[in-house]
Amino acid sequence: MGEVIVVTSGKGGVGKTTTTANLGTGLAQLGNKVALVDADIGLRNLDVVLGLENRIVYDITDVTGGHCRLRQALIKDKRYEGLFLLPAAQTKDKTSVNPDQMKELCGDLRQEFDYVIIDCPAGIEQGFKNAIAGADRAVVVTTPEVSAVRDADRIVGLLEAAELRDPRLIVNRVRYKMVKAGDMMSIEDIIDILAIDLLGVVPEDEMVVITTNRGEAVICDDRSRSGQAYRNIVRRITGEQVPLLSLEEGGLMNRIRRMIGFK
Amino acid sequence: MDTGRKAPVSHLQDDVEGEENTILIRRTLRSGQKFYYDGNVIVMGDVNPGAEVVATGHVIVMGQMRGMVHAGAEGDESAMVMAFRLLPTQLRIANHITRPPDDEVPPGTFPEVAKIKNGVVTIESYQTGRAAV
Repeated sequence: MGEVIVVTSGKGGVGKTTTTANLGTGLAQLGNKVALVDADIGLRNLDVVLGLENRIVYDITDVTGGHCRLRQALIKDKRYEGLFLLPAAQTKDKTSVNPDQMKELCGDLRQEFDYVIIDCPAGIEQGFKNAIAGADRAVVVTTPEVSAVRDADRIVGLLEAAELRDPRLIVNRVRYKMVKAGDMMSIEDIIDILAIDLLGVVPEDEMVVITTNRGEAVICDDRSRSGQAYRNIVRRITGEQVPLLSLEEGGLMNRIRRMIGFK
Repeated sequence: MDTGRKAPVSHLQDDVEGEENTILIRRTLRSGQKFYYDGNVIVMGDVNPGAEVVATGHVIVMGQMRGMVHAGAEGDESAMVMAFRLLPTQLRIANHITRPPDDEVPPGTFPEVAKIKNGVVTIESYQTGRAAV
């Protein structure tokens, strides 16, 4: 029985889709069978980010509406054997799927895959309710901005109301230099407000833009720091204990340097 | 049939198609916009990625075709797709589904026609008078 994880944020543009793509790719790299579900009906992006747009024949609404079998709608990734995408519909809207259908869909996917990762749309309306309906766990993505953190807080509240306990947090697009200069919220500030477990911190990285535009995942890039951050997050999802990358640069390393008198 | 017009000149009859309805869309179709028509479709504008044009007959795009296009949607294998710039995410004719190769090809800079030839979807440059062959 696989696990269904929803990636959500409330606010748009914080990196839900990028995170979903990278977590899925990373889990597949480790040999897991992974299904990515794009729940952003009407504004689908995950297919574009994965470079699979031109392979779409059936989408999630065809599956829930009974127009095709689940297996027909799943698109196999170009690079990884165990990675599949269930694309959203582009010409319909969020009301074309309901939470009960999503629950059933997640139940079916769970039978076949080790991990099912759902890319939640921005907002807290129908699309959000659909996306979280079938999930076992939630990952909340935020950026170090007051608006994003405020929305994440709202989402954590809604997740709790939906009995999705203990969501875990990914702080995306962190600029260490700005944090150090006191111009950006620090991880500690964010944790202080949200009071949920930290799953990982992803630094701001140009490579994300470059790889995304190519339809690839940054996690495949061995040299990039964001790729490393995502690899660590993936290992944490699988249950490993991995120290935080953020502390290596922003905190721990500096603390050690300070301790040994470098700074 | 419109009786007010002259019937096509007899020797041209084989080359003239007039039985189906044809519709003219005078704007650009954007992502999420889907257009279905029982007949031929002519778009005077672009079809952007994420937009869909589905016709039971031919599809002609007087602009860039970057979205999903399906000609002969009810199974007509003689349907074709023509565009000034034919760069679709996916191109379907009758029950054939094709997509551009993954290794990027330089974008076409001239009008092209896609149709089924010997059971495969073939794309060739458009030459006046030869499109319907």
